[in-house]
Amino acid sequence: MSGPRWVPTIDDAKVRDGACVPVYPKGVGVLLVRVDGKLHAVANKCVHMACPLEGGKLEGATLTCPCHDWRFDVRSGEFLDAPELRIATFATKVEDGKVLVELKGA
Amino acid sequence: MADEVTVYALSTCPWCRKTKQWFADSKIEFEAIDVDTLPDSQQDEVADKAYALSGGRRFPVVVINGEVIVGFNPEKFLEHLQGAGW
Amino acid sequence: MGTAERKESLRYLYDKVVDPLGFKFTPDAALAEELLEQEVKLEQDLGAPYCPCQMRSRVRGEDMRIVCPCIPFHRAHFDKMKRCWCGLFVHKDVTDPDSLPQFPPDEE
Repeated sequence: MSGPRWVPTIDDAKVRDGACVPVYPKGVGVLLVRVDGKLHAVANKCVHMACPLEGGKLEGATLTCPCHDWRFDVRSGEFLDAPELRIATFATKVEDGKVLVELKGA
Repeated sequence: MADEVTVYALSTCPWCRKTKQWFADSKIEFEAIDVDTLPDSQQDEVADKAYALSGGRRFPVVVINGEVIVGFNPEKFLEHLQGAGW
Repeated sequence: MGTAERKESLRYLYDKVVDPLGFKFTPDAALAEELLEQEVKLEQDLGAPYCPCQMRSRVRGEDMRIVCPCIPFHRAHFDKMKRCWCGLFVHKDVTDPDSLPQFPPDEE
């Protein structure tokens, strides 16, 4: 399908270091996370039981799901206790102060 | 000599049920304790005992004449039973 | 959500977790039904679908390691048994789950 792959979300300045901010480009639940100044975007849905990850605890690059404590590396999306499982990751870029998220196949 | 058998179990666990059924079918007397349905005042103490015996939180924990078997494992049960017929 | 509906949704959620780990639902359909039923009750009573054959502690960090599917947290042990502790999941090549003994992690 055609259409904009890069979808604008919120102001880059609104994602503080160490914070998780949920956004919904084209209705897709995405979590923007800034770790050591670098912006990451992951699916806002745990691979275990689909809990929203936004209320989870972020320590360094490790995000712990608030439901059952499943832990993910927000840089790779990898589940730390079994690398076969991962949350989706999305490319991001900043244009005119806005964070754009790349939705594949959008 | 009669065997002394205790089955520490969880009421939610099919393998604990199968274990109790196996001893009943084998006509071996046993004491069964469903740890999860004990009143709060007793639960911690009994659960701690089962953990100490088994080294974990997995059930069933079967004690036959002082020997501990973790899991539904009829071969192991037979190994440790000494009563008539075994 | 009723028990039957929750059982179905757990089936759907679990399948996506255990498949990449090399496991599938046990072919013993009656056992799977019973275990899922117990998990839904545990979730309704205690807030999470804990393993019906492992006991909770009072420590969250420990208890979260026995929330189903708990395979990631007991992988070496379950791979050795070719099943998880309660038997809801077995290795994909298993066709006769009754042949698999249940033994603790430190035993063969």
